[in-house]
This record gives sequence, C-alpha cells and structure tokens, in this order.
Amino acid sequence: MSVKDRDPLTGHKTTGHEWNGITELNTRVPRSIWFFVIVTHLWALIVWILLPTWPLVTTYTKGILGVDQRQEVEEAVIAANQARSDWAQQIDELDAEQIMAEPALSARVRATGHQLFGDNCAGCHGRDAAGGPGFPSLIDDAWLWGGDTDTIMETLRVGINAPHPETRYAEMMAFGRNGILDREQIRVVADYVQSLSGAQVAPARLEQGAQIFADNCASCHGEDGTGSTDLGAPNLTDDFWIYGGDDQSLFTTIHDGRAGWMPAWEGRLTLTERKILAVYLQQLHQEARQ
Amino acid sequence: MNRVLKTLLRPFARFFEFHARTHYRAERHSMALTAGIIAAAGVGGFVEIAPLFTIADTVETAPDMRLYTPLEQAGRDIYIREGCYLCHSQMIRTLRDEVERYGPYSLAVESKYDHPMLWGSKRTGPDLARLGDKFSDDWHVRHLIDPRDLVPESVMPQYAFLQNATLQTRDLPDRLAALRAVGVPYTDEMIAAASADASGQARPDTEGADGVLERYGEETAIRVFDGRPELVTEMDALVAYLQVLGKLTDLAHETQPVAEE
Amino acid sequence: MIANLTRNERQGALMISISVLIVGLAMAALGAGDLMGMQGWVVILFAAVMCTIVLRGLDADEPTEDRAASYYDDPTKVGIVISLIWAVIGMGVGVWVASMLAWPNLRFDAAWSSFGRVRPVHTSGVIFGFGGNALIATSFHIMQRTSRARMPNQVLPWFVLFGFNLFCIVAASGYLMGITQSKEYAEPEWYADIWLVVVWVAYFVLYIRTLARRNEPHIYVANWYYMAFILVMAVLHIVNNLAVPASLTGAKSYSAFSGVQDAMTQWWYGHNAVAFFLTSGFLGMLYYFLPKRAGRPIYSYRLSILSFWGIVFFYIWVGSHHLHYTALPHWVQTLGMTFSVMLLVPSWASAGNALMTLNGAWHKVRDDATLRFMMVAAVFYGLSTFEGSFMAIRPVNGLSHYTDWTVGHVHAGAMGWVALITFGSIYALAPLLWRRESMYSWKAVEWHFWLALAGTVIYVFAMWNSGIIQGLMWRTYSESGTLRYSFVDSLVAMHPYYMARAFGGLLFLIGAVIGLWNVVMTIRHVPRRTPELDYPTGSEANEPAVPAE
Ligand code: HEC
Ligand code: HEC
Ligand code: HEC
Ligand code: HEM
Ligand code: HEM
Ligand SMILES: [Ca+2]
Ligand SMILES: [Ca+2]
Ligand SMILES: [Cu+2]
Repeated sequence: MSVKDRDPLTGHKTTGHEWNGITELNTRVPRSIWFFVIVTHLWALIVWILLPTWPLVTTYTKGILGVDQRQEVEEAVIAANQARSDWAQQIDELDAEQIMAEPALSARVRATGHQLFGDNCAGCHGRDAAGGPGFPSLIDDAWLWGGDTDTIMETLRVGINAPHPETRYAEMMAFGRNGILDREQIRVVADYVQSLSGAQVAPARLEQGAQIFADNCASCHGEDGTGSTDLGAPNLTDDFWIYGGDDQSLFTTIHDGRAGWMPAWEGRLTLTERKILAVYLQQLHQEARQ
Repeated sequence: MNRVLKTLLRPFARFFEFHARTHYRAERHSMALTAGIIAAAGVGGFVEIAPLFTIADTVETAPDMRLYTPLEQAGRDIYIREGCYLCHSQMIRTLRDEVERYGPYSLAVESKYDHPMLWGSKRTGPDLARLGDKFSDDWHVRHLIDPRDLVPESVMPQYAFLQNATLQTRDLPDRLAALRAVGVPYTDEMIAAASADASGQARPDTEGADGVLERYGEETAIRVFDGRPELVTEMDALVAYLQVLGKLTDLAHETQPVAEE
Repeated sequence: MIANLTRNERQGALMISISVLIVGLAMAALGAGDLMGMQGWVVILFAAVMCTIVLRGLDADEPTEDRAASYYDDPTKVGIVISLIWAVIGMGVGVWVASMLAWPNLRFDAAWSSFGRVRPVHTSGVIFGFGGNALIATSFHIMQRTSRARMPNQVLPWFVLFGFNLFCIVAASGYLMGITQSKEYAEPEWYADIWLVVVWVAYFVLYIRTLARRNEPHIYVANWYYMAFILVMAVLHIVNNLAVPASLTGAKSYSAFSGVQDAMTQWWYGHNAVAFFLTSGFLGMLYYFLPKRAGRPIYSYRLSILSFWGIVFFYIWVGSHHLHYTALPHWVQTLGMTFSVMLLVPSWASAGNALMTLNGAWHKVRDDATLRFMMVAAVFYGLSTFEGSFMAIRPVNGLSHYTDWTVGHVHAGAMGWVALITFGSIYALAPLLWRRESMYSWKAVEWHFWLALAGTVIYVFAMWNSGIIQGLMWRTYSESGTLRYSFVDSLVAMHPYYMARAFGGLLFLIGAVIGLWNVVMTIRHVPRRTPELDYPTGSEANEPAVPAE
C-alpha cells in the first residue's frame, strides 16, 4: 500500500505506513469515545470535590461532604446498635426462661446465636455444641461450673484458665507425672472411676480404688465423685466425658493432668452477645433433650 | 444539547489533535517513546505513595505498641513461608459487618512493624487480625495438625510437620538486625539475645524466659505453646505468633470500645 | 540452535553459562544449611545443562555469512515451545490447586504440597512462565518484522530467554521449598529479584537496539506496548522488591516498606503487573497478530494513540482499588476508584479498535479458529476491564473484595484474554516460524478453541456465583439486625462451585495440552514450505535489506 491510500472497504485513509503487511487507517476517534471520556472525567471531578482525594504534602483535600470511612463505619455500628436496642434491652433485662417464653425474642436469640456460636465457639464445641475430645458438650447435663444463665455468662466473661485477670482456674493434677501415684495405682483408680458410672470392676480392685480416690481425688471431685461446680471439677459418675472414659484416656487424664483452656470473651463479645449465647445454649439444650 | 457537547468536547479534541500530531513525529524516536512512557507512568505512583510518608496522620501514634519477640517473628516468617496469607486476611475493613464479625477495624499502626504487611487479598478462611487469645494454644496445635479434626467442613491444609520441626534459632540475630535496618527499633541487646529469647519464650521453666519478660514486657506470653516442653518447634513459633495477632497495641480497642458496660 | 552462532558467540555463551555455574556453586557452598544452598543446586543444574548444550555444538561449522539477510528466529521458536510447556505445568498446577479447595486432602503428606506453597507455583507458572515466555518470544518476532531488521546480536536474545527462565525455575522451586517474600506476583526472594533486573536490562537493550536498526521511519503500535511492558515492569519490580536480606548467604529478606506504605507499594506493583505484564504486552501481541491474520488494516491509528497513552497514564493510579476500606487513607482510595473508572475508556478503546479491525473479515472469524481465539480474547479483554472498573467502585468492592468474585475476574482476564490471545498468536505464528504449510491439525485447533472457551465460561460463572454468594452471606442480616451466617456457613456453600471450577479448569488444561501436542506435531510432521516474503527489507517497497544471492 502506498502513502495515504484509502481502504476500499471503509473509505478511510491510511496513515501511509506499512509494517510487514500491516497498515493502519487514520479513522477519527469515534464520538462515543469522547462522550465516555467526558462522562467519566466529569464524574471523577465531582467525586474529587465531594470526597477526600488529593494529597498536599502534609495534608489532603477533605472534600465538601467531609466524610471519612472510619467515621462512617462507627456511625453505622452505632446506628445498628440503636436499631437493635429495643429487643437487646429486653435480652439484657429478662432472664432466660422469660426470653424463651417469648416467641419473638426467642427467635432473635436463635438467629443471632447461630452466627455468634458459629464464628466463636463452634471451632471447639462443634457446630451443634455437642463438644468433642477435649471440649465439653454444652448440651448434656454435665456442667463443670453450672448451667444456669448467670454462671454460664460468668464463664464466658472470664474464661477458664484463660489470660484474663479474673479467669476461672481449674486444673486436674498430673498424678503420674508428679510422682504421686504409680502406674498401677492409676490403673486401679481409673477402674474405680469407671465403676462410678456403672462399669463392672472386680471387688478387690474396687476397694483399693475407692481408697486411692478418697485420699487423692475426693477433695475436688467429692466423696461420691459427683464433682464440684465451685472448683470446676467434673462429675465422674454421669458417664459424660470431656476427655473420654476409656482406659487409655482415663490413664492419660490422671497421669498427665488436664487444664482445659476456655477463652475469655470480655472485650471481644458484648454483654448482650454473651447473654444471647447463654440463652442460645439453653435453647440447644432443650432441643437436645426433646 | 449537541452544542453543549461540542463545547465540552473542544478542549479534549484540541488537546488530542495536538497530541496526535506531536505523536506522529515522536513515534519515530525510540528514546522519545521511552522517555514519554516513563514520564506518563511515573506520576501516579509518586503522587499516591510519597505522601503516605509525609502526611502525619497516615499512621496513628500508639505509645503502647510493642515489638514482635524473636519467637513471634520466627512464627511470622513461618506464616509467610507456608503461604497462610493466601487464604487469610489480616485486615478488618471499615464495614459494619466486618466490625461486627471480627472486631474493631484494623489501624495502620497495627502493621507498622510488619515488613512486609500481610493484609491479604483473599478470605478462603476467616480474617485473623484479632485472633490473639481467641483460641487456646492446644486448639491451634490440633487445628494446625489437622483442621478437619476440629472443623469438619474446613478446607485448610494440614501442617502436622511443624510439630516435629525443630525451630532454627541460629539466624534470628541476623533477622532482627535486618529488621532494624528497615526501621524496627530492636536494641543491640535484643538482637544479641534473639536466639536465647526465642527458646526461652517457649520454655517457661528456664532462665531464658526471664530475659524475654525483661526485654519485651511483662505482658509477653511465656508458655509451652506446642505442648512439648522438651523441644522448641516451629509449631511453638507459629502459635506464639497467632496468639499475638491484634495484641501489639490496644489502640484499636481504646478508640473503638465494644459498645457495652 | 548452536550451529547458527559464530565461534565467538558460542564462546561468549559458554562464558556466560560458566559464570552462572560459578554463581550457583557459590550459592550452594556459602548457603549450605540454608535454603539458599538448595537454590544454588537449582542454579548449578540449570547452568550445567546450558554448558552442555553449548559445548556439544562448540566445534560445529561456522554459520554462513548471509544470515544477516534473514530474521533471527531461533530464540522465538524455543521461547514458544517453552511457553507451551509452562502453560501445561502452570495450568496443571492450577487444576490441582482448584481441586485442593474442593477436596482438601488431595495432596501428599509433605510440606511442599500444601495449598499455600503450591498456589504461587500456579500464579507464577502461568503469568511468568507461560505469559512471560510468550511475550518474550513474540516480541522478538514482532520487533524484527515491524522494524524490518534483524536483531543486532545473537547471544543477547538467548541470554534474555534463558535468563528469564532461570528466574522462573528458581522462583517455582523456591516456593515449594518455602522461599517467598509473600508479595503477590513478586514472591521470589532478593537474589532472584536482582537476577531479573539484570535480565530485564538486557531485554531493554536488545529491544532498543533492534528498533535503532529499523528500516521503517515509524515505530509500530505493537512496539509501543512491548516497550511500555519492559520499561514500566522494570520500575515497578525494582521499587516493590526493595528489601534487606538477613544475610548474604541466606534466602530470607525483609521488605524495605512496612504496613500501610508497603500495602500501597505492593498493590501499585500488583495492579500494574496486571496492567503492564498481563495487558500491555499482550496488547502488543494483539496489535500485530490480529490485523495480520485478518488481513485488515488497524481500524484507527488515532484510537491507538488515545488508548495507549490512556492506559500508560491512568493504570498507574489505580492500585489502591485493592485496598478499599482498609487502613489505607480514604483519599488514596478515592484516587484509585476514580482513575479506575476513567481507565475504562482507553481500555475499551483498545478492545474496540481490535474488534472494528475485524470489519470486513468476520467470515474469516467464523471459519478460522485461530482468528476466533483472538477475537474472543478481545471480547474477554473488554469484559474483564469493564468488570474491573466496576469492582473498583468502593461499594462494589466492599462486596467483591476477599471473595471468589475477584478470582473470577482474574480468570476472565487471565484465561479469556491473556491465554486466548497467546494461543491464537501461537497458532498464527508457528507455521510461519517453522516454515510449515499450516498447523498439523486444524481440527485440533478447533477443539482447543471450544475447550478453552467452555473452560473459561464454566470457571468464571462458577466464581461469579460463589463470590457473590460468599460476599452476600458475609453481610446478610437477619430480621433482628444481626449477622445471619457464620463464616463456616459460607464455606460450606462454596463447595459445589469449587468442584465446578476445577472441572472448568480441567477442560482448559486439556485444551492447552492439545495445543502443545499440535505444535510439536507441526514441527515434526508437516512438510516445509518457504514463505513468500519473510526477511528484512530496506524500504517500504519491500526490497531485501541485503540482496539475496
Ligand atoms: C479454644 C476453644 C474454645 C472456644 C473457642 C470456646 N470454648 Fe467453651 N470451653 C472450652 C473448654 C476447653 C472448656 C472446658 C474447660 C475445662 O475443661 O475446664 C469450655 C467450657 C465452656 C463452658 C463451661 C461448661 C461447663 O460445663 O461449665 C461454656 C458454657 C462454654 N465453654 C461456652 C462457650 C461459648 C458460648 C463459646 C463461644 C463464645 C465458647 N465456649 C468458645 C473451649 C472453648
Ligand atoms: C485439684 C483438684 C482435683 C483433684 C485433686 C483431682 N481432680 Fe480430677 N479434675 C479436676 C478438674 C478441674 C478437672 C477438669 C479438667 C478440665 O476439664 O480441663 C478434672 C477432670 C478429671 C477427669 C476428666 C473427666 C472427663 O470428663 O473427661 C477425670 C477422669 C478425673 N478428673 C479423675 C480424677 C481422679 C481419678 C483423681 C484422683 C486421682 C482426680 N481427678 C483428682 C480437678 C481435680
Ligand atoms: C486453603 C486455604 C487455607 C490455608 C492455606 C490456610 N488456612 Fe487457615 N483456614 C482456612 C479455612 C477455610 C478456615 C475456616 C475453617 C477452619 O476453622 O478450619 C481456616 C481457619 C483458620 C483459623 C481459625 C480462625 C477462626 O477465627 O476461626 C486459624 C487460626 C487458621 N486458619 C490459621 C492458619 C494458618 C496459621 C495457616 C498457615 C500455616 C493457614 N491457616 C492456612 C483456610 C486456609
Ligand atoms: C487451567 C486453568 C486454571 C485453573 C484451574 C486455575 C485455578 C486457580 C486457582 C484455584 C486459583 C486460586 C484461587 C484462590 O485462592 O481461591 C488461581 C489463582 C490465580 N490464577 Fe489461575 N487457574 C487457571 C488458569 C490461569 C491462567 C491461564 C492464568 C494467567 C494467565 C491464571 C492466573 C491466576 C492468578 C493471577 C491467580 C491469583 C488470583 C488472586 O490472587 O486473586 N490462572 N487459579
Ligand atoms: C480496566 C481494567 C481493570 C480494572 C479497573 C481492574 C480492577 C480490578 C479490581 C477492582 C480488582 C479487585 C481488587 C480486590 O478487591 O482485591 C482486580 C483484581 C485483579 N485483576 Fe483486575 N482490573 C482490570 C483489568 C484486569 C485485566 C485485563 C486482568 C488480566 C488478567 C486483571 C487481573 C486482575 C488480577 C490478577 C486481580 C487479582 C489481584 C489479587 O488480589 O491478587 N484485571 N482488578
Ligand atoms: Ca490475590
Ligand atoms: Ca520479590
Ligand atoms: Cu487492580
């Protein structure tokens, strides 16, 4: 193609150059392109006037709307809190039975509890709150510290063995590692513990086990092994186990001790959220019983 | 309407006509193109990055800001090595749902000592900016060994090998020194004691632990993070790091109190 | 390959290979006990292969004098094949990575095979391995053809090509060993970064010297784009990778920047890796192969000017759209958002310019799968830039950020645009390069096209769905005004889409394998044909620069 030829198809002129067979037309920039240039630039200009945009060495243009993302989200959160305040206040004030008796309120607890529990608790206690090895079930009747709303809320606030100044403190001593009991004694007392929830054990061992238990364990778990909610020592007679009731697990528990860590939620969850969770657990508990 | 459009268009068209004509001449000189490209592409980056160093309120002041201990820094290096940042963000945005789900939005100062930052760009897993103390050490260890053991729905990889990998502490003084070179205020003493401090933090019953508290503050968590007191493992380091996420300064909590009490 | 080099050039190549070998030995020896040592062995292996290749051809006859009368195409040929091999590796790993998100136990019981270490092998493998090699190879071809001049030197192009591949191999092997700076798309550690600077300077010198020899007064648009790619990537790479190594004999380094400044620098780099690697360079490809294949003049030279300078100027500003609502100050976000929207116009101008060029050649698009690859690529380019500008608007990004929507957008661009334009260009180029009548199998090209298109569409739709569902679930409120779903709820909802994505990716991968096979079969089995005119010429009348004998 020679200089400034016309393209037969479109009638546009070429630029007059050819690169290994490629030529270019000198077509004008279509109007529509200019139109979009203007629209986008105008829009940008307006946004720059309204919002913080241009840096000026040590400060920046603030924009006439005077908005800032931080202020915006803080306002949004406050507004959301206010919008929820009518029923949130009721949650704060009423006790669990009253809340659960109120279908509308109960439904709110249910919906909110699902997310709160899912994002904060399910990792340990399972999505259904049924627990798992090392983490107690929250829907059985075996409570370490007590299952009423106030106790649960206190447990949530300070945690158990957690880095909170007022945390609940509970440790199962390492009888084996600390050399208090030898391995045979541990096996014997483990058998005794199993017998508390109905397992068959040879009478001779039972007697020996009962003795060891009375000497070492009763101070926490009680004479009869039903535990103590003051100390957070579990009931050993109910056949609910955190760490397992088989020989191996029991041996490990008594030999190495246990100290479950339940995080403290103060500062992370609000009072209302903790109340919701406490009631939510009651709801799950009730459903599990049905 | 058409007239208005045309008037509006005129400056653009003029500028462009001029540009096209100059261009036709300039495109014959490769060095002119080179210079043009560098000039055109140079502006934006400069205008956006340079002021971040000169505008004072870009990074908040947090008097209580503390440094990563050598063990935590080693854990951070493992977090980078394993690519955790590809699934986990550490940046809570200024959006209501994020603040309600994860906690106070992240402040710039919170990653002031993060070389590089780990804000992330994808949340295959949840945000970790406020993870510290949300779970127990034991939970983290079990979760890292096999996430599906604790969260059956999880798609997170297993990192069981961390539990048996002895932590390399030999080069920690070099690492802290390099961090100081880029602006993290580690002292000579901290750099010299880095290896010992790393072991000490994971072995509460040794003397090394005292040095850590002395140098990094009484708040520092001194624990057997991986449940194996006899060995300082990569698991120790990673869990120590995870437990300090969001805890270097309280500023975010102070300025955005949880609405209650 | 070696036979076309003169004795002196062979010795030069040998010297370079030996120098690299020595560097590798030093790394292995001094870095023993650190991961640096293992990287040293990778370098040694690579350099040893290079030395062997050169040594085996060292004593062959000198090439004939008249080689100056032809283009130097050997590096292009090798580059194209390497690019296709990386395509299969990178996309194969992509399918694996996608499968791990659907079936997390689909891995080996070893540290190197975990998602976090393998994913960067995919991203670097496809972007740098596949894309980078294709860019280098096609740029060698295009700069010579549009300058009507042979490259000035025969060693430099090899240095660029193999030097770049050494970088890719060091990077990918490093990720598996656990070496990474964590900066997305800039993960390789400090020593690899420095090496890339050396390679890149050589690349620029080669480009500019070829242009200096040109027999055509004007520099064609494709070259503008390749030059922008080379120059701006150099600036971005150097600034974003500034770091202080913990030790000169260790792999680990710490970024010079921290926190918010680091975030801005990283995404200034990250976004412009998209702009100048994944867009600018491939637009160069488009601007050459599309009009060539369609046999039509470029629709508008003026539009080319507008879109080129628009892209170069506006793109640089938009990196902050990766940081909306974060601790980055609000003002930078506004800049990122507004410039992203303004950027749409030059982006669409270039896509439109390409599509309008096809006017008068639509019947060819229908019949010729190669041209169809390019046409569809231009469409996906338009689509992904539109989507990108949309996602850059703050409230939209509030929903899309952190979700699979971003991943969907990425692959609309990466598969639909980058990979399709590359495949189209390779199919146009291969017969020409190897002087063959045509591709070995046109049917296979057709198959590849439909597999690639189906794969892309499945992938992108799956990710749009999962991304938007995910984003919405995270912010859905119940009637009570409290969050409706926990994070794990959203995770469970992703599962079907992750399976669909892996399937779409598999289709795309099969297409790439077919492509590699087809090219290899073309080289091996298609009869030779001498093209009518494919040598440097001295004037616009197409006289040979050097009279043929
Ligand atoms: C890091 C794991 C973990 C997380 C997360 C966790 N818990 Fe726990 N939780 C535990 C452990 C372990 C115990 C038992 C402590 C012990 O063994 O002494 C426990 C105990 C409890 C108890 C006391 C049970 C009793 O019998 O008295 C309640 C109530 C409870 N958790 C509720 C919750 C709620 C509600 C959440 C979420 C806000 C939650 N937990 C999150 C680990 C966890
Ligand atoms: C200092 C108080 C204390 C003493 C003494 C004590 N325990 Fe415990 N025990 C606890 C506490 C607290 C727990 C709960 C630990 C946890 O959940 O982390 C516990 C838990 C247990 C468990 C685990 C229950 C389960 O659900 O898995 C068993 C079994 C047990 N103790 C048996 C014994 C036996 C046998 C002895 C005596 C040899 C004994 N304990 C002595 C405090 C004590
Ligand atoms: C393939 C993506 C992926 C990678 C890589 C990954 N994770 Fe995860 N992570 C997840 C997912 C999904 C979850 C949510 C389910 C769960 O809790 O396991 C999660 C959850 C977590 C949690 C619990 C957070 C919470 O608040 O519930 C922690 C802590 C965590 N990951 C740490 C890590 C660390 C440390 C690494 C790197 C060594 C890592 N993750 C790598 C996907 C990933
Ligand atoms: C066989 C086809 C492909 C498959 C199956 C595939 C799969 C994947 C997967 C699973 C991810 C990780 C997403 C996540 O973390 O959630 C990913 C990321 C990515 N892929 Fe691909 N991919 C393919 C092709 C490509 C191609 C051809 C390119 C580029 C040319 C590409 C570029 C990228 C990039 C840039 C990312 C990172 C995205 C981000 O960080 O947001 N992919 N890919
Ligand atoms: C006008 C053009 C474009 C604009 C304005 C744009 C905008 C965006 C936006 C807003 C994001 C999401 C950032 C986030 O929320 O994290 C994004 C991500 C991305 N885009 Fe684009 N995009 C454009 C074109 C393209 C093209 C053509 C490609 C080609 C491959 C591409 C590749 C990517 C990649 C790889 C990411 C992921 C980055 C990461 O997080 O790792 N984009 N883009
Ligand atoms: Ca990303
Ligand atoms: Ca790098
Ligand atoms: Cu971008």
